[in-house]
Amino acid sequence: MMDKKTRDILITNFFAVVLGLILSGIMILFLKKNPFSVFGILFSSMFRDGYTIGEIFVKATPLIFTALAFAFTFKANLFNIGAQGQFYIGSITAVSVSLLIPSALAIPVAIVLSFLAGGLWGGFMGVSKAKFKANEFLISMMSTYVALNLMNYLLRTILMESKGEYPQTESLAKSTWLFKIVPHTRLHFGFILAILAAVTVWLILYRTTFGFRIRAVGQNQEAARMSGVNPEIIYIISFIISGGLAGLAGVTEVNGVQHMLLQGFNPSIGALGIGIAILANGNPIGIIFASILFGALHVGGTIMGQLSGVPSSIINLMEGFVMVFVIISYFVRRKWEMNRDKKLLMEGNV
Amino acid sequence: MLINLFSRAVLMSTPLLLGSLSEVFSERTGVMVTAIEGIFLMGAWAGFTAAYITGSLAMGLLYAALSGLLVAMLYAYIVVTLKQHQIVTGTAINILILGLCSFLQRVVFGVPLSPLTVEPLQKIAIPLLSKIPFIGPIFFQQNILTYSIYVLVPLGYFILYKTSLGLVIRSTGENPEAVDVSGISVSRVRFVTVSISGIICGIAGAFYSIGYLGKFTTNMIGGRGWIAFAICFLGNWNPIGAFVGTLIFGLAEAFAILMQANASTILPNELFISLPYILTIVLTISRKSFNVPSKLGVAYYEEH
Amino acid sequence: MSTPFFELKNISKYFAKVIANKDVSLSVDRGEVLALLGENGAGKSTCMKILYGLYQADEGEIFKEGERISIRTPRDAMRYKISMIQQHFSLVSAHTVTENIILGNVKGKINWKEAENTIQQLAHRYGFNVDVRKKIQDLSVGEQQKVEILKSLYLDANLLIMDEPTAVLTPQEIDNLMEFVENYSRKGNAVIFITHKLKEVMHVANRIIVMRSGRIHGNVLKEATNEMELSRMMIEHSIEELDKGEDKREAGEVCLSVQGLTVVPRNEVPLLHDVDFDIHKGEIFGIAGVSGNGQQELCMTLCGAMKPTSGSILLNNEDITHLSIRKRITLGIGYVPSDRHRYGMVMDMNLSENMFLKASYSKEWNNNGIINRKKLAETTSRMLHKYDVKAPGPYALARELSGGNQQKVIVGREVEFCGDFIIFDQPTRGLDLGAINNVHSAILKEKKNNKAIMLVSTELSEIFALCDRVAVFYKGKIQGIFRTSELDSQKIGLLMAGYTHQEVV
Repeated sequence: MMDKKTRDILITNFFAVVLGLILSGIMILFLKKNPFSVFGILFSSMFRDGYTIGEIFVKATPLIFTALAFAFTFKANLFNIGAQGQFYIGSITAVSVSLLIPSALAIPVAIVLSFLAGGLWGGFMGVSKAKFKANEFLISMMSTYVALNLMNYLLRTILMESKGEYPQTESLAKSTWLFKIVPHTRLHFGFILAILAAVTVWLILYRTTFGFRIRAVGQNQEAARMSGVNPEIIYIISFIISGGLAGLAGVTEVNGVQHMLLQGFNPSIGALGIGIAILANGNPIGIIFASILFGALHVGGTIMGQLSGVPSSIINLMEGFVMVFVIISYFVRRKWEMNRDKKLLMEGNV
Repeated sequence: MLINLFSRAVLMSTPLLLGSLSEVFSERTGVMVTAIEGIFLMGAWAGFTAAYITGSLAMGLLYAALSGLLVAMLYAYIVVTLKQHQIVTGTAINILILGLCSFLQRVVFGVPLSPLTVEPLQKIAIPLLSKIPFIGPIFFQQNILTYSIYVLVPLGYFILYKTSLGLVIRSTGENPEAVDVSGISVSRVRFVTVSISGIICGIAGAFYSIGYLGKFTTNMIGGRGWIAFAICFLGNWNPIGAFVGTLIFGLAEAFAILMQANASTILPNELFISLPYILTIVLTISRKSFNVPSKLGVAYYEEH
Repeated sequence: MSTPFFELKNISKYFAKVIANKDVSLSVDRGEVLALLGENGAGKSTCMKILYGLYQADEGEIFKEGERISIRTPRDAMRYKISMIQQHFSLVSAHTVTENIILGNVKGKINWKEAENTIQQLAHRYGFNVDVRKKIQDLSVGEQQKVEILKSLYLDANLLIMDEPTAVLTPQEIDNLMEFVENYSRKGNAVIFITHKLKEVMHVANRIIVMRSGRIHGNVLKEATNEMELSRMMIEHSIEELDKGEDKREAGEVCLSVQGLTVVPRNEVPLLHDVDFDIHKGEIFGIAGVSGNGQQELCMTLCGAMKPTSGSILLNNEDITHLSIRKRITLGIGYVPSDRHRYGMVMDMNLSENMFLKASYSKEWNNNGIINRKKLAETTSRMLHKYDVKAPGPYALARELSGGNQQKVIVGREVEFCGDFIIFDQPTRGLDLGAINNVHSAILKEKKNNKAIMLVSTELSEIFALCDRVAVFYKGKIQGIFRTSELDSQKIGLLMAGYTHQEVV
């Protein structure tokens, strides 16, 4: 029984990805390009050299964090769709810390403070949900726009570069950069941090009593309450952790990749994180692999855009298709399972 | 100045009202249209593209409506027919539509050297009424979409509370089993309502591209769909509530535009841009909602 | 023999995990009251839902007056003048009586005045005292049933199917209902009455069809049968004779003491009103009453999920009135809720995790916040064995178990983890007899272990079989506390209907 279920998941998710590719291939036909050669370029360009392979993991890093952020609250049956905003808050914190402390000390301080800042921003949503029964989904969505505007404001005022030309900060001192883990690439310590975060989240959720309570609240809030769990506290803490995780993406992007903060910074990692979490069925370890897949598609897509003339937005489209098919596959699996059970009954008794 | 502000408020509340009215109907059947942001964007793109190519705003609106219908039907198929999670599905569709619109924009227009524009909907002054001092210029010198809301609000109220269709819609969100047992297909009620909402939301989206600015960018919706979604909650799932809510938001938005145009030095522009979002947050927290359809967001499994 | 009014032939229906109906054939004539008798899960409702178009049969045919008909939706059924009242009703509680009755039966613009008048007149004609402008949520359960019946009458139905219509009614309301059924059938209409209560069957039916495990196990005229025979047909294995054990009320010391317990929601009628009782160690204390008379609130208040407006609760002489649910669990209050899906289990978690639900704060199974999974799985396995739970093992998902086995898990958990006082809220509702016996013997065993037990039940037979003393609840008040030996079912019925002790005696 268990084997059949696992097999179903693998089959349906495989088909979801394949169907996503096919539909995007059809879209490519609109550009009067050959989808096979375009996909050929896409996949070969991902692995063309060490630097590019490194880029895949660089791109995957923040996605792991935002996907974990969504998945963590999702386990408590909450919807934090504001990881983008929490990421901005984390970025603002990271850049401020690194500008104020231009030494290696900035790194641990930025990690801690970005987590806290993102966590506080997210915790506000948890409190609204717990204490005012407000719709966390709406609030987290709206708060992203507020965070964006806050960042834009700071970028053209106190955080603005001294030249005063562009809405961006000064470049960070080299000592505050996250160190590289593979030479001749941009792959930095942030990736390790992301893996650690994913493993930690998995351990919390599936090995600790606290994580158990989160899942219990998520799956049956009433039963959890009757067992002595206080769902309100679970809401607040899950949102703090979730916001903190998204905040950490700020450190990896500011100190690890961009080495400054600028307007229009990574505008879609929040949304992609949700997609990745859906793809991975909320499993933290699955999220690592799904993020790497999305990272690879983005890296390949960007190069493909330069080489084949197909706009790289095809990648977003492809991801969208895959997500929709992954959701549909939940239905397909349920149907298969029900039919199997029914067939057994009819065969056994007719 | 004040007339200008209010007139713009009415203008800005038009798409929000179309969107939130659609939400009211869908949510009364138990389905949140969480794909609304994507439907708005799709409508904005299709409306602009059709208008640009055919040179006809009417064609633009038609295509916006059609594209909204298609996206809504995809959404309804997944959440109503296949009974998948509404928030998760909506999020995925929103991402899909963002990708689709960016891609199609590029397919159709390539990389244009100068910004593409169309002439937006013209204001039509209604004879006599538009001459009423103060009221006239605010309410009766608007474009055709804005006028449509004057009809849609009372019509929506009438349908919801005075017709058998409205009774079925309201019952479906409260107790779908009762509807099922009465011999009406819950799935059909939900599917059709969401589809019609899609048509209206598609037009609402087109308002942002061809109703007002005359151009299209992929970030032009910027959460407006979500605000319409929020207004439905804040207006207690009632067309009149939605109307009042949209006026407040329209005013906030008009105020923000006015303040930006006048480059206030005391308070930062970003604060005004954030105003509708902050307002949503504050209202969501402070306002106790009632009338919540009991089965909002819950899939209904017909017994077979 | 004349052609039957309605007839089902060889109906079979398979659900994902069970056979609901197998080769069911039955018929009903005009002017007849047919009782469909059987235990919970015997397939009575499924079979009728097929006739009403809510389910599609996998095999079999339906006939009306000899002609084969196809009923694919309730709309088809209505066209053939069939109406069915669901067990848990299907009314929109936020809507008015009128809105509920005309739902699906009007077109276009609604003339509210006219609709209200028509329905009010209809109600008068049948002697139903219902205000058609009232919202369903403001009506009593008995009145809600009248609304359901009115809806059928409004549709001019000739065949009325009622699923367990008496479950929520007081004995007096039941009499009224029976009277209606007799009058209605006398006019040439047919009634199918789904029930598991033998007494009602003998009272109202002309003919009785007994169902068991999805099949028909008997088709008899009332005159030609008796209760003993029916119960033999209905039940595969009889209720085990239970050894109730000695009545230790005097011997045991007081474990739980409830004093003046009152729950009044803001500006509303009290849900619990000045409730006083003690439960002793080694005693089973019953709470009888028609459901919805404060039993749920009493359980919720005792386990800490609801705050009392006034009054106090003492457990082993310690005041626990203001303690949290969590503290009460630590002090040893166990609770087997009536709605296990909602309050008792997490269906998507495995059995081990469901066991852990009540123990997540206990030091025993966790090391500084890390779950001791090995020990947990071992204990769960042992518990599954001890309570005879049919499950693949501790890692099976709760949802994969049958209702009876789920309930055994909950009972096992509450019994194993809780110290002194256990609440059983309708612990056997919806279970088959095997599981009922299992739960009953678990309860009696805990009594022998000198625990204090509170048993809430709407089944009088259960109360009489298990309890030492019983408190009868009516509208949140205790009508009286009696030794079960002092009462019979007629007296208790009157008490449940709101008569006071003096009136009854």
